Amino acid sequence: MSAVRWGLPYMLRYKWRLIFGQMINFINILLSLVNPLMAGLIVANVIEGGQRELLMRYLAIMISITLYRSITRYIFLVLYETTSQKIIFNLRQDIYHKLHIQNFRWFDKNRVGDTMSRMTGDVEALRHFTAFTIYAIPENILIYVAAVVVMALINVPLTLALLITTPIVVYSAIKQAKELHPAFREVREQFSNLNSVCSENIGGNRVVKAFTKEAYETDKFTVANQKFYDANMNTARVRIKYFPIMESCAALLPLILLLVGGLMVIYGRLELWQMVTVSGYLWMLNNPTRMLIWSVADIQNAATSLDKVYEMMRQEIEIASPEEALPGEKVRGDIEFKNVSFRYSFEPNSEVLKDISFTAKQGQTVGIVGATGSGKTTLMALISRFYDANSGEVLVDGKNVKEYHLPSLRKGIAYAMQDVFLYSDTVEGNIAFAAPDAPMEVIYDAAEIADAHEFVSAMPEGYETIVGERGVGLSGGQKQRISLARAIAAEPSVLILDDVTSAVDMETEHRIQEALAEKVLKSGTARTTFIVAHRLSSVKDADFILVLENGTITERGNHDELLAKNGYYAKLFEEQRGGMPHGA
Amino acid sequence: MARNTFRTDEEVQNVFKLGHLKRLDKYLKPYAGKFSVTLGFTVLSSALGLLAPYLTMIVMDQSIPNRDIGQVIRLSAFMLFTVLINIYFMRYRMDAMAKVGQGIIRDLRLDLFTHLQRLPFAFFDSRPHGKILVRVVNYINSLSDMLSNGLMNLITDLLSLGIIIAIMLTIDVRLSLVALAGMPLLFAAVFIIRILNRKAWQIFSAKQSNMNAYIHESIAGVKITQSFSREAKNKEIFADVAGDVQKSWNHGTRVMFLMWPSIENISSFVITFLYIVAVAMIAEATLTVGVLVAFVAYIWRFWMPINNMANFYNTLITNMAYLELIFETIDEPVLVKDRIGATQMPKIRGKVTFQDVAFGYEDGQRVLDGVSFTCAPGDTIALVGPTGAGKTTVVNLISRFYELNAGKVLVDDVDISGVQLASLRSQMGIMLQDSFLFSGTIMDNIRYSRLDATDDEVIAAAKSVCAHDFIMETEEGYMTEVNERGSRLSVGQRQLISFARALLADPRILILDEATSNIDTRTEKALQEGLSRLLKNRTSFVIAHRLSTIKDATKIMVVDNGTIAEEGDHDALMALKGDYYNLVMSQWQG
Repeated sequence: MSAVRWGLPYMLRYKWRLIFGQMINFINILLSLVNPLMAGLIVANVIEGGQRELLMRYLAIMISITLYRSITRYIFLVLYETTSQKIIFNLRQDIYHKLHIQNFRWFDKNRVGDTMSRMTGDVEALRHFTAFTIYAIPENILIYVAAVVVMALINVPLTLALLITTPIVVYSAIKQAKELHPAFREVREQFSNLNSVCSENIGGNRVVKAFTKEAYETDKFTVANQKFYDANMNTARVRIKYFPIMESCAALLPLILLLVGGLMVIYGRLELWQMVTVSGYLWMLNNPTRMLIWSVADIQNAATSLDKVYEMMRQEIEIASPEEALPGEKVRGDIEFKNVSFRYSFEPNSEVLKDISFTAKQGQTVGIVGATGSGKTTLMALISRFYDANSGEVLVDGKNVKEYHLPSLRKGIAYAMQDVFLYSDTVEGNIAFAAPDAPMEVIYDAAEIADAHEFVSAMPEGYETIVGERGVGLSGGQKQRISLARAIAAEPSVLILDDVTSAVDMETEHRIQEALAEKVLKSGTARTTFIVAHRLSSVKDADFILVLENGTITERGNHDELLAKNGYYAKLFEEQRGGMPHGA
Repeated sequence: MARNTFRTDEEVQNVFKLGHLKRLDKYLKPYAGKFSVTLGFTVLSSALGLLAPYLTMIVMDQSIPNRDIGQVIRLSAFMLFTVLINIYFMRYRMDAMAKVGQGIIRDLRLDLFTHLQRLPFAFFDSRPHGKILVRVVNYINSLSDMLSNGLMNLITDLLSLGIIIAIMLTIDVRLSLVALAGMPLLFAAVFIIRILNRKAWQIFSAKQSNMNAYIHESIAGVKITQSFSREAKNKEIFADVAGDVQKSWNHGTRVMFLMWPSIENISSFVITFLYIVAVAMIAEATLTVGVLVAFVAYIWRFWMPINNMANFYNTLITNMAYLELIFETIDEPVLVKDRIGATQMPKIRGKVTFQDVAFGYEDGQRVLDGVSFTCAPGDTIALVGPTGAGKTTVVNLISRFYELNAGKVLVDDVDISGVQLASLRSQMGIMLQDSFLFSGTIMDNIRYSRLDATDDEVIAAAKSVCAHDFIMETEEGYMTEVNERGSRLSVGQRQLISFARALLADPRILILDEATSNIDTRTEKALQEGLSRLLKNRTSFVIAHRLSTIKDATKIMVVDNGTIAEEGDHDALMALKGDYYNLVMSQWQG
């Protein structure tokens, strides 16, 4: 199985620690056979044989063995836990890394909750396996075998009598494990269902209230709640079926010892001390069978989780830096599209962008307008190589983006997205996201330009105010301005503003644009800027404007040229300025 | 309540409030009968279980020396009987406890969820959603075991401890005293380790929830991370956060693993001592081998109840912290609710009046101050003004999402504070800034506002907002599943869907809060044309920054600093050359 082959090196890295631990543990188990023997010898030699002087020796052995065993067992357990933590730490790091090089396309298809459970639930199952199952299995096999051997050495018929219940325990345990497996899965599923019903309800609480759907939501929840209850009751039913049987088999052992052992002693086939000794080994028959059965379930669990994690880890990274690419200087900002076509799905004729060509020189401002769904956001995503074009080339500074070392490429491009996402962190932390070590002045400066400084300062805790994951607590316009400040603070060569001022009033937007222009002027460096917007006022000062319709560029030119063309742009402008006094 | 991030540990207070336990009474009560029967069975079965060493002793000391085969068989038969009867007891108990434990948490969870539905926006805005979620799901789950098996075990453990001591005393008082001498030591060790252990695990669970929060955010925000090339920094933070988890786990296990060695060593010392005393006594013929064997067996059974009790104590303390948070949520006041004697809101014609309305989200804060206006049925009212001026607040008050500090809001001359909330809000269609979609099909999402709408009605609503065409272009049309927050759709497309959802409700009053900001103006225009027919007899409130969206409104109100600065139609306000004029002009100058 390839998942195992993939997962094994994580453990093999610590093989000496693991082997050393197993050795300590094996010695320990063999030593645990001694104490019941001592108890038997005390009865045989000291009490019945009258050799009182032996008592202290036996007791000293018992105490020292217990002491030695408890200390080494402690060391062993801690060794295994810390090793398993190391293994899991490495695994987590690798998954986390994989997520950060994984492509947008993958995230478009996979839900946050599912990815999340790979890193929590599944990793936890693997932790349990590496910390416990890998020693529990050899340990329990050894205990069982050792107990049977020692007991057989003492008395074979009695040992055989005591093994009578083992098949019943094994049979029930296997049946139970089989039935529990789907039952547990059902509980897991219903649990995650309950979680998502609840989580959506909390996330969408405004919508729920706006449409007075509280009762409907409660009904939906009641169903999920009841299903979770049923799933839990179902596992309880399986356990009720088998657990009492297995427990009774355990409880039968003293009974068998009493009956068979007692009768054998009476008939002189067994010494009393032998009976006492065997009673000390009883637990060594029962516990291992029970534990081994659980281990079977554990292995199943771990294997499922390993499969799921591996499934995620083996996903190819379609967009990665070519091996020969080295980290380079920040890009200058010349952008060129050569006959670029792109589609999200593999179906033919589903092109989102068709044959796009344009050139933006360093320092130019490019406006992009077009209807909802016309491909504006996709076009922007291609510049940072979040997706690869199906045909044609995207060039930055004359070099195909596919030849770049990705972080170097993206470092020079700040992409402020339409769908604003803020981290639950301070405002400062959010703005400094791209440049964590930036001095405060850069942060203030960026906030100032994005017209966020004023409202941020007005908040009781200012830049230390913590905002939520989706920036809950801020108005739409405020969120957009913080995300804009975040892009500015990155001090990029290429700035992409994807509809980031839609919730900002016109006056503020105007101020922001002036401040941006002034900043670029002052710094003396040229910055290429892309502005995607619906309000033409946002783009009318651009060096040139691209009009996108159904994935193709239908018009291009500056504001005046486009007006002169009397096409889509001109009509749009007329519509938007309608009612305006002429000559404004 | 202060906000929480992945950097700050969640505080779990160790408070013990009897009041919380008393409140659980309500949930336990329906199961009182089951609980008492189970308790009876459990006590009986654990008493029977404790007999085994005693019976072994009788066999060793009496049957074997007397060669009494009959007695051996009789005692074995009795043991067999106890084993069999125990199967029945165990079955009953497992079944009853599953029903009690699961039933209680189901009922409590439903109560909590139902209450959540009545809580105001502010409750959801002031804390991470993850924190609310764990209260409803995880915290309540952890109560289940404490309230069923935990409580049951506590009672039976106390009883078994008593029974063990009683049996030991009956067998031999002197040896009992020897055995009991180790008790205080055992007690002390178990409790100290358990308490240290609890603290260690508390730290661990705080660290773990920090890590989970960070993972969650990293996944949700991964596109931002990649676009700013911040992967390395994130990995560094993650290594820290995951390292904390590792450290606290290792610490926790180091403490936890102390338990067994301590018990084993204390027991082995007690047993050694017992042997010394016993061997001397046997030599003097005042003790038998059977008694000795029985005693050793009982000493081993001693630590189990003690360990369980220490365990229960820990769960109790942890769960008290959870209960505290659960009841805190249930006690969260419902600020906006139906007054006693609230009447049904009649079918709304659409007149809306604000009379000197003052409002603040927090005490002493004034977001709106002295806002008054009236609009006639069928009017379109546009609200403009700088971000944070209070536009959203005005429309929120029409739906009575908050209680006013002063003044009145009237709909059709009826004071809305005196009508039933559901009857008011069900006649309103509200489209919010954040166009939240539920996971499910596009069809389900539009239908959300009116569950009994037919497919044709849903499609008609989509057509009227110009969403039909792009929906048909998706893979499975109306049956296309959208992810949480509709991540497969563009922002503009999401807005169109939530627009269709608002329209389908056939609202008398329509509120559009920056509902079309990400939709291109062309689509918006087509949309408005389609809408104008639909909106004819409805009053609508529109918040927007686009001139094209607002200029045709019957009335435009400029909200600034919590008051209405200007009011009138486009032409009138342009003529006024005030704030509105400047706002409009700024779009074209520069």
